[in-house]
Amino acid sequence: MRPEEISKKTEQLVNIKIEDLPPLPPPYTNYEETPITPLKEEQKKKWEHSLDGVSALTLPRPETPEEEERLVKLFLSGLEKLMTKENNWTFLQPLMLSMEYCAKCQTCADACPAFEMSGRKDIYRPTFRADVLRKIAKKYLSPGGKILPGFRGHDIDLNWETIARLAELSYRCTLCRRCTSVCPVGVDNGLMNHELRKIFSQEMGIAGPEIHEKGSVKHLKFGSSTGMTKAAIADIIEYLEDDIEEKTGKSIKIPLNKKGAEILLIHNAGEFMAWPENPMSFAILFDAAGIDYTLSTELTGYDGVNYGLWYDDVQFARVALKHLEIARDLGVKKIVIGECGHAHKALSVIADRLLPGEQMIPRESSYTLLNEIVKSGKIKFDPSKNDFPVTLHDPCNVVRLMGIVKPQREVLNAIFPPGRFREMEPHGVENYCCGGGSGFAIMSSGNFTDWKRLVSGRKKLSQILNAFQGEMDPSIRKMVCAPCSNCKGQIRDMLESYEVFEKTGIWYTGLVELMVNAMVDQEKPFLEWPGDEDDDDM
Amino acid sequence: MGFLQILTYLSGLVFVIAFAAKLLKYATMPMHVRWELYPIPHEGKEWGGSFYEEVDHWKKTRHKDHMAQYRFMVPEVLFIKALHEDNKSLWYWSFPFHMGLYLCIGGLAFLAIGAVLQILGMVPQNSALASLFQSLTIVLAVPGYVLGTIGILGLIVKRKTDSGLADVTAPIDFMNLIWLGLLFVTGFIVWLQDPGFVVSRAYFVSLLTFSPMKEPMGLIHVINLLVFIGFWAYFPFTHMTHMVSKYFMWDKVKWDDDPNRGDPGMDSKIKKYLAYPVTWSAEHVDAQGGKKNWADVATSNPWEAKEQK
Repeated sequence: MRPEEISKKTEQLVNIKIEDLPPLPPPYTNYEETPITPLKEEQKKKWEHSLDGVSALTLPRPETPEEEERLVKLFLSGLEKLMTKENNWTFLQPLMLSMEYCAKCQTCADACPAFEMSGRKDIYRPTFRADVLRKIAKKYLSPGGKILPGFRGHDIDLNWETIARLAELSYRCTLCRRCTSVCPVGVDNGLMNHELRKIFSQEMGIAGPEIHEKGSVKHLKFGSSTGMTKAAIADIIEYLEDDIEEKTGKSIKIPLNKKGAEILLIHNAGEFMAWPENPMSFAILFDAAGIDYTLSTELTGYDGVNYGLWYDDVQFARVALKHLEIARDLGVKKIVIGECGHAHKALSVIADRLLPGEQMIPRESSYTLLNEIVKSGKIKFDPSKNDFPVTLHDPCNVVRLMGIVKPQREVLNAIFPPGRFREMEPHGVENYCCGGGSGFAIMSSGNFTDWKRLVSGRKKLSQILNAFQGEMDPSIRKMVCAPCSNCKGQIRDMLESYEVFEKTGIWYTGLVELMVNAMVDQEKPFLEWPGDEDDDDM
Repeated sequence: MGFLQILTYLSGLVFVIAFAAKLLKYATMPMHVRWELYPIPHEGKEWGGSFYEEVDHWKKTRHKDHMAQYRFMVPEVLFIKALHEDNKSLWYWSFPFHMGLYLCIGGLAFLAIGAVLQILGMVPQNSALASLFQSLTIVLAVPGYVLGTIGILGLIVKRKTDSGLADVTAPIDFMNLIWLGLLFVTGFIVWLQDPGFVVSRAYFVSLLTFSPMKEPMGLIHVINLLVFIGFWAYFPFTHMTHMVSKYFMWDKVKWDDDPNRGDPGMDSKIKKYLAYPVTWSAEHVDAQGGKKNWADVATSNPWEAKEQK
């Protein structure tokens, strides 16, 4: 399909069919998968869905032709602003290079898991949405753009169909930038998608509801994208302390708002709600290693997420500056980021040039610090306590986009018996996204959950299954270590949707939970597997 | 001076100005936020690691392995290594085309040197040095024409027959390929008619001495020259100048991992950018049509204020 066809006035451009998708590895070779749930008639009337029958944004259809025209104009003005230094100094140079230099070789397509796992649907090629943007810019914004547009390859119609489909299409890429890694001329189609989302958000106020209204807005309003308030976090920390005592017999006080502490530790607040063992494990390890740290209960200070990273520079900057301000007020020497991939990249890399140097606070990955703890010998680990097969998921934001590859592997090799840790293929900087990147892990509007299950998460599920081939007996418990909250959420959803634990014995956890499980002075197993509570009851 | 010479000068002038403008455009764009992508060769960690793998990295002196960048870039430029690894079926045609182009550029450079020697009175008949440069011109240019032609033909067929490529290839892309193909084919025919590139060298001499040719050129020479002159002037306006993106995207984007440690130059840029007015229209940005700058919008929290009210 040619990118120009995005403007076609048809009910739906593409249909995702199960039979087109690449098969999953054993034991799922003949597994009967559930197709994407079609939107109901009333939903179809309300929401745009003409791209692929999926609505991730629940984008309302304009009610009048005038409204359509207004939105089309707004998009064009946003694209124009995107190409000015005043409005987009943050990404102007890489954007303009990527706009101008695509050699149309399609090398990026084979690197994209969404394209591959969709059964190679053209609309999911990394170049497709980027090309649409290039063509619109050439035809409507460049001098002489309407001269011979067909011959010059940008004869595209800018109508509501184009805009609506582009909006949805910008949420079919996880921004993993695997495509960029392989581009022979360095074009960054991942960035183009990021910038496309910025037009929709910063100019038109259109974004995934879970990442804007229920995400970054909640973060700035209540202190956390989970909606957790300052008062609630203090209560939750108390619960965690009680749970630590129950599980380890240790009475540990988790420091809050401690002025002058060495480290401000920031977790993804989702951990407190969905996986409290993760912040508990950090508390146990830091306590045992004698680390001087604190958590913050200030607005945004207890939630390291920064959803703006995926769609909006302004929201991004607001949250990042709050994080830095809190660290400065506490007088810490560094911020350590918990197991959250995008929080790593947001605060360590992207926020690095938001303020003059004297106002910056050093940021460090928890992976690096955890590895240092292991190497220091301050905590004794007994690898035999982790005597089960394990594989490691590499969060894109930490690995390909930050270059933290070895520390987490060195930790696993220290806390697992020899031969138990095996890599996925490919791994490290060539890894595949979990399928939940760029906000997908928390997005569930319309029938988007089905698309994630069938398409964006499919490659990672295949990789996980392949890592344990030959040991698929469900009685052999196996673990995926996913040291990132969003990746963990996506992997959880995939494992549950496909009943992977029941069929194969594969489950998931973070890195710190595995470390605590292997601590010599941890008497009871710390890790919990599905069904463990039932066993205890019996 | 003849018409062709004037056209050649103009074409060269257009090329130099347009290409320089292009380089200047990108070189003067604001410093962007960091957007690096690993592996970064100068980190010197073959597994793709970075300084973030070290505790308290900001307290340590950074060591950049600059030679590693060249070890990456030289095979990339010469052999298009990335395409070889990730898109071999296209590399089979793209590589001979690019190598053909490099060889022809090399041949042209030796032809120019031969012309300078000729002005100095050294011609292949009386000078070993001039003879050497004549041979080098032939040794580079002729295989260049052949490889280039093979590559172009392959690329045209590939772009016509591969549906993934055909959908994204515009008529102008075929025109560009055909134009380059004509350059190679007519160059080859020129060599068949003029195996020592004597006429071509004489034309170069006329260009360098601002004097007319003593003998008029043959038709095929003129055609080859016109094809070249046109392409030279047209080239900087096309995406075929992707060596620009290759430099900037690698050196200034994918490999730019310089952390902000209070460098005065970086600080002053950041302060300047934070003062840029913002005109994004979405309500939550609250830019007030450019009344607010980046510092204003980034340090505001509209929701916190509403809560307090």
